[in-house]
Amino acid sequence: MNLFGIMSFVIGLLILIPMTNLLFVLFVPTNPIWEHIRRYLLLEYIMNTFILVSGVTLISIVIGYLSAYFISKYQFFGRKLLSWMLVLPLAIPSYVAGYVYADMTSYTGSITRLMMTMGFNMQINILSMMGAIFIFSLTLYPYIYLLSLSGLSRQSVTYQENAMLLGASPWKTFWTVTVPLSRPQWVAGTLLVILETLNDYGVVQYYNVRVFSFAIFNAWFSLGDLISAIRLSLYLLFFVFIIIAIEKILRGNKQFSLPVKPKFRRRNGLRGWKAWIVMSFLWIILGSGFIIPVIQLIIYASQTFRTSIDMKLLNATLNSISNAVISAIFVLIFALFLANFARTRHQNIIKKLWIRLSNLGYAIPGAVIAVAVHILFVDLDRLLVPIYRLIGIEQRTLVLTMSAVTLVFAYILRFLSIGFNSIDGQYDRIGSKFTESAYMLGSSKLEALIRIDLPLIYPGMISAFILVFIDVIKELPLTLILRPTNYHALSTLIYVYARDEMIQHAGLASLLLIIISALLIVGLTQYRKGMFKDVYSND
Amino acid sequence: MKKASLLMVFLFSILLITGCQFGNDQKERSITLYSERHYDTDQVLYDLFEDTYGIKVNVISDEADKLISRLQNEGSDTEADLLMIADAGRLERAKSLDLFQSIESVVLNEQIPESYRDEQGLWFGLTKRARVFVYHPDRVEVSELSTYEDLTHPRWQGRIVTRSASNIYTQSLMASMIAIKGEEEARLWAEGLVANFARDPQGNDRDQAKAVVSGVADLAIMNTYYIGRMLHSTDPYEVEVAQTIRIFFPNQETTGTHVNVSGAGVTKYAKNKEDAIKLLEFLSSEVAQRAFADANFEYPIHPNVVPNELLTSWGTLIAQDIMLSSLGTHSAKATLILNEIGWK
Repeated sequence: MNLFGIMSFVIGLLILIPMTNLLFVLFVPTNPIWEHIRRYLLLEYIMNTFILVSGVTLISIVIGYLSAYFISKYQFFGRKLLSWMLVLPLAIPSYVAGYVYADMTSYTGSITRLMMTMGFNMQINILSMMGAIFIFSLTLYPYIYLLSLSGLSRQSVTYQENAMLLGASPWKTFWTVTVPLSRPQWVAGTLLVILETLNDYGVVQYYNVRVFSFAIFNAWFSLGDLISAIRLSLYLLFFVFIIIAIEKILRGNKQFSLPVKPKFRRRNGLRGWKAWIVMSFLWIILGSGFIIPVIQLIIYASQTFRTSIDMKLLNATLNSISNAVISAIFVLIFALFLANFARTRHQNIIKKLWIRLSNLGYAIPGAVIAVAVHILFVDLDRLLVPIYRLIGIEQRTLVLTMSAVTLVFAYILRFLSIGFNSIDGQYDRIGSKFTESAYMLGSSKLEALIRIDLPLIYPGMISAFILVFIDVIKELPLTLILRPTNYHALSTLIYVYARDEMIQHAGLASLLLIIISALLIVGLTQYRKGMFKDVYSND
Repeated sequence: MKKASLLMVFLFSILLITGCQFGNDQKERSITLYSERHYDTDQVLYDLFEDTYGIKVNVISDEADKLISRLQNEGSDTEADLLMIADAGRLERAKSLDLFQSIESVVLNEQIPESYRDEQGLWFGLTKRARVFVYHPDRVEVSELSTYEDLTHPRWQGRIVTRSASNIYTQSLMASMIAIKGEEEARLWAEGLVANFARDPQGNDRDQAKAVVSGVADLAIMNTYYIGRMLHSTDPYEVEVAQTIRIFFPNQETTGTHVNVSGAGVTKYAKNKEDAIKLLEFLSSEVAQRAFADANFEYPIHPNVVPNELLTSWGTLIAQDIMLSSLGTHSAKATLILNEIGWK
């Protein structure tokens, strides 16, 4: 065991201990409610989940990968602006987009009224399966875009040139060279999209799209049976494992970095109708995924800002930011250890499984994680009682449980895999020759990590940080249930109003949330640092 | 290496700072409330309570079932003194999980009518809401309207919208039907109603009202308080919708309109039982009732307190004559039946 091995072991334990609180249901005999779910609901839920996930996957791959491709390979008017703006829909939580679009297309909504003034007497029914697919694709495609972009912009043009020399058409080159070579990135992005879709509860509940997460919460809330809910989430987890396993098998032992000298092509200029098609494609995505909902939110905020600006909003903003920063830092550190452990030479099944298990959190619905983490911290607090008495905390037992520590721990558990996948993907790209040379020259693991790896995987770290930050700031179910008393984050403020059917009052909080996330993206790109370096380098 | 150790120190201090967010109001007298309600005006009442009695109210708000799980996990160590829930069925669920303790309070028994509280004083209703008909005056004559049961008549085919089976209001309405008519008749009623739906249930209560105005349906079953909220919406078009529709209290001449409560109970392991009872007494008192109910356009529970002008303008309401605790008894069954008959 070395440094990375030990750290990964500890991290894995931290993640897995709360999960064992869920596994007990496997030993509880099934009850009549479970029979009821199986008999009347399960099939419908599985079918709907399949339709939803396939739809969202397909559309977001097309949107996400194509936009990354256009941005990295072509030059056209507004490309630079679009290159970072296309990430912005990620700043909008799916449930906010869901509520806003539902309101806009409702009978009193702005889109319906606009269509009526233009003479179309029809109403778009967004509260449906199609509507849900639309919302998820538009808010989640940036995962694929972001990761594909960093992959594509680093792809040495040598491969494509060789393909062309051998007589392949551009179309064939795209399908047989470009897409397969950037596979680790877009597949990782797609996995995130699938997991986010499976996890959502806000949109599917409001749209009454009866999918698996709906079943989990239905079992818990409507039928009052948490055991069946956990059983269902274990089933869900099992499906996720299968998806991941299939991906691994398909990927096999292929390597995605070859020892070729990086050579970057000047982007092809686009003119005429081709430029118009590409530009309208990108602007329509950006418009519907970001600009339109944000304009609507600005209108809400202007209607309600007098009652919205108060200390509660300020506190919520600060809480959201500090949660996101602290969790993201921890996730990066943990993910770095795990990723290093994952890429050492000795590969075996136990190690692979351990790493998979450590990244489990993302595949489990937030509210179920909340239950697991809560049980863990209550137990922990009971153990720590003597220490509390020693340091002068009288009477109280649930000291940690009632603090934000629980919350941050849950965030880390939930989002570790986002950090891991980004960093692991980056390692895949640089290969291990530099690190191995450093070891050969006698540097320690930690030294090699800090002096060799970190500068190399910096772009991956930045994108991991942004993704985790944005995910934490948008996170809802964990935050709701695990927050301390009198505590608000932006997401909980938004939810409280949205659930109360007062989405207008959530306008300002939503905008703040979006602005914070957006600023982060913009700030990073404007300094031409990190992942966007290569996207700009040829201008 | 120096950098790494600096980093560790930095991280550790962050952890400490986060850790320090708790435990700062040790000395002050306070109670902890787990609540499903979260209206800004509630806070005003809690502040008034603090000013009057010197007891601070700490709140965690979330959906009822998550708060219930949380209380279960925390067991005897919980810091929650009160659990407040916006549905009688859920209050009964918390009761059956042994999360409440029995309270004897003359004040509470005086202020809250018997049918709106638990017989053993485990929970107390604090506000009422009714599930009524909302219809479009151009397409529905008042004379056509009578009871929930009548909506199963074929002349309503394709004209009705309401919420989904996963919605608590639907479940409680169904539970009340079981309580009044028995399981078999309630099942037939639900089947008949589903057959007359204009569309698969979707959206929230406001969406049902909009469906009536837009012509998707002629009649919606929805809660009174959403109509009040829509009339006071910041969106002028929503106000217009609320002004277009008309309200009808069903079953006034038979079994009464379905009414539900939001209420609270003192938790079994409350550390500040007396102060928690004080808050319950305060919230159900004549002083606080009007504001507490008005926060959400609900009916006050206190018999002497007059409801909001808007609610009064709809006429007097005759409610279902059942103990609300029976909603809890039947709510699980209600959900099962809804699933079985295919109420989406």
